[in-house]
Amino acid sequence: MNELEALDEYVPLRMETPAWDDVLRRARTRRSPRFLVAVGVALAVFGGAPALAVVLLHDAKPGLPSGADRSNVAIMLEPHTGRIVLEVAPWKGHDGFCYFAFFNRSGCVPRSHQTVVMAPPMFGWTFDPRVVEATATTFGGKPVNLLVRQFRGRINATFFFEAKRFALLRNIVLRDRHGHVIVRLRK
Amino acid sequence: MLDELEDFYRTNLGDLRRVATAIAGDRELGCDAVQEAFARAVRKRRSFRGTGTLEAWVWRIVVNAARDARRRRPELVEPAEPSTNGHAPVIPLDLLTERQREIVFLHYYADLDYAAIADALQISPGTVGSTLNAARRTLRAALEEVSS
Repeated sequence: MNELEALDEYVPLRMETPAWDDVLRRARTRRSPRFLVAVGVALAVFGGAPALAVVLLHDAKPGLPSGADRSNVAIMLEPHTGRIVLEVAPWKGHDGFCYFAFFNRSGCVPRSHQTVVMAPPMFGWTFDPRVVEATATTFGGKPVNLLVRQFRGRINATFFFEAKRFALLRNIVLRDRHGHVIVRLRK
Repeated sequence: MLDELEDFYRTNLGDLRRVATAIAGDRELGCDAVQEAFARAVRKRRSFRGTGTLEAWVWRIVVNAARDARRRRPELVEPAEPSTNGHAPVIPLDLLTERQREIVFLHYYADLDYAAIADALQISPGTVGSTLNAARRTLRAALEEVSS
């Protein structure tokens, strides 16, 4: 196999469906973070109340992505505070879901991304239905149980989450109900 | 200008998504990067000064969006047991530098010549040529080693 054939196989050419309306919609609706900061600063400096600027910046945080089916939103609560830490909804037109996590992380995920973890703070999901338990280890070696929540239906994924926002964790292990290791993050 | 952007998008969508997918390392992220790049181009179209071609300006935005998408890409976790339905990429792209990969993708997938690639990546055509040759040598050697 030469490099041309290998490249052809790496990303095969497909028949593509244009989505120009989506381009225009994104161009109309999305303002850059720099723009929003500039608006906030301008309001704070030129006579507007600083609190108002803060409110505007706060409102500008992303929510569920536009691809989310908002008629079917599930949430995950932090047990001690009752705070919503995660919103999840099916991804319109795709096999997967869209999410918005409280620390301003959001996106849409195809089911091909079987298991994903992000940090910090520790947050992730798996499409493997066997997973019921998630643990991690602090850098000091202390084991930590992560919150685990399964959503069935069209979302059909399991989420895990560490409530301590700045906890530095490693060695994430996902287990089934018998304690068998399903996934181990090699870190 | 908006019509020209739309024409370019519709005519080159396959190449655009292919290059963005290759750079981002993921099909969904690559497609999203193209949409985001064109939205950016539409918003900033008045800042296009006409010093280079519109095509190169758009490609530059697409490459940057794909790079951003790759950096934001969540860390994928390896299953405890090797997956049976996955397959490793045949092409040893890990042997190339980021710059080499981008030039290879723009040349092979988008069929851009040295001048257009140079314009898009804001480097000299000579650098494009030498980088592409070095990348080809590396890939050929690696592929020959695999097949022998």
